[in-house]
Amino acid sequence: MIATDGLSLEQAPPLDLPLRLFLTAPLFAAAAGVLLLWQADVVLATRWSPAALAATHLLTVGFLGMVMVGASLQMLPVLVGAPVPAVRPVAGAVHMLLGIGATGLAAGLLGGGPWPLAIGAATAALGFGIAALGLLLALWRARRRGTGLRGFPLPMLALMVAVALGAMLTLALLGWLVLPRLLDWVNLHAAWGLFGWVGLLVLTVGVQVVPLFHVTPAYPVWVVRRLGPLLFLALLGLTLAALLPDSAGIPIAQLLGALLAAGFGAFAVLTLWLQAHGARARIDATLLHWWLAMAALLGAVGCWALGGSTELMGLLLLVGVGVGLPSGMLLKIVPFLCWFHLQSRQVALGRFDLRIPHMHRLLPERGARAQLALHAAALVFLLAGLLQPVFGRVGGALLALAALWLLALLVGSASRYRAAKRTLETTSAGTG
Amino acid sequence: MSDPATITETLTKDHRDCDRLLSAVSLQGRKTDWPRVVRETEAFRAAMERHFRFEEEVLFPPLEQVAPLAAGPTEMMRQHHGQIRVLLDDLAAAAAAAEAADYVGISETLHFLIQQHNAKEEGILYPLADRALAGQGADLAARLAEMD
Ligand code: HEM
Ligand SMILES: [Fe+2]
Ligand SMILES: [Fe+2]
Repeated sequence: MIATDGLSLEQAPPLDLPLRLFLTAPLFAAAAGVLLLWQADVVLATRWSPAALAATHLLTVGFLGMVMVGASLQMLPVLVGAPVPAVRPVAGAVHMLLGIGATGLAAGLLGGGPWPLAIGAATAALGFGIAALGLLLALWRARRRGTGLRGFPLPMLALMVAVALGAMLTLALLGWLVLPRLLDWVNLHAAWGLFGWVGLLVLTVGVQVVPLFHVTPAYPVWVVRRLGPLLFLALLGLTLAALLPDSAGIPIAQLLGALLAAGFGAFAVLTLWLQAHGARARIDATLLHWWLAMAALLGAVGCWALGGSTELMGLLLLVGVGVGLPSGMLLKIVPFLCWFHLQSRQVALGRFDLRIPHMHRLLPERGARAQLALHAAALVFLLAGLLQPVFGRVGGALLALAALWLLALLVGSASRYRAAKRTLETTSAGTG
Repeated sequence: MSDPATITETLTKDHRDCDRLLSAVSLQGRKTDWPRVVRETEAFRAAMERHFRFEEEVLFPPLEQVAPLAAGPTEMMRQHHGQIRVLLDDLAAAAAAAEAADYVGISETLHFLIQQHNAKEEGILYPLADRALAGQGADLAARLAEMD
């Protein structure tokens, strides 16, 4: 495990670590849904409402953060042979810190006072910091081989920038720091979070997994190699432009904004094109989640180009992309992991006379399709809510339902895993 | 002629070819042509088996000789092959029994398992083999085409 010049092909981390993160994450998406159900009129009316800010961070810190960390713990050993150091304490700490962080931030932004805000911001920042450190360290150790995740550090760096800016904004809100032009800083924080972290993560992971899992032709080399770094540079430029006087800064920011919109738009169009030309034609819930998310991404690009409202853009990116894609991924990754650990157990025990349940037995496809339908309906109603708040409430309720139904499917998968594992172990003990 | 292809290139392409064979099998509800599914499944299994035999018999032994440190990883790859073979048997059984739901579920599970295995080979083991075997690598890779 150590001797081969750091070459480690050992198995992924113990199942309970990623599962813990995956089974907690949907609760935060459900909480955001409940918040919308309760306050859709203010959430959707302006991005500055306390409820909108709270819902945003329930989704980004609680849901997305946990899913990303859980998936990375799992994928890094597989893709680059680089296990995350001290994976058990790291996963445990990040799980707890992001959980407290999302809750505290949401409570604080909702008007719960300075302490929840301060504690939430500090724990969320610490949780993301530990996660990024662990993941980057693993990648750095594997840097001499494994070309698979070359672009992965960029979204992590963007996340760190977003978190640092978030911490600054928190200090400003608490009155512990004076930030002139606060609005510019909020916009930069949001840009690094949404385009830098979420956007680049979808891009980097997408160009790797879409060709493999949907058996499509590969993305063009310039998309795989250059688009991520280019968009990262555009974000850096955007940040610097905010420091310039308006006369110079605004045109530059416009130009770089156009570059970002065009880059993500191109990625969305290419992804849809490749998926339409793939060999794997079976249309399942995860593929539909991809289509919906790419359509939402294109919608956001269009909204930007036409000067539409930032509320519309935020909704498309946060719910359309940020909730949809991870949900689609969880619908596959959790049953696969359960199956994989079951089969390893079966091999270890030599019990080939027993059949273990395959992925669709662990998580039925029909359930997955219902999840997709709930999510799609939630997105449609939330969009309609921008015009008529009562639709927004329905959308919030649907968002919560979609998240809870996702959770139920994942829990079902885990409990079928446990039952099958018990069968393997007890019958093998009985027959020797 | 261009440079002889490396192990990484040749075997990565073979992975993709196998993927396409599996994803080309299509079930059409009641109208599914099961004898054809059985044939296509067999063709896929034969392609996988050829690939595994190349790795286990042609590639791994010289690699283990020149780079004894690679023995751990190659052993793990052999274990993966065993796990994949179990599912290949299950898939063939589902085709023979015309069990559509099981066929689809096993096919997807197999697809994920193969991707996980291939990612380790393509990202780590093949590049290692290309470095360790140097010039010999291209000759070995060329032998894949001769296997049947
Ligand atoms: C430690 C983590 C974080 C902290 C402490 C934090 C804190 C904050 C604060 C204080 C604000 C401004 C509130 C106001 O102006 O009243 C804000 C806005 C915002 N944050 Fe964060 N944040 C964090 C992480 C993130 C992440 C990871 C994202 C990812 C996308 C994100 C997305 C946003 C967005 C989009 C807004 C603007 C909301 C709007 O325009 O409606 N934040 N954040
Ligand atoms: Fe192999
Ligand atoms: Fe292989």
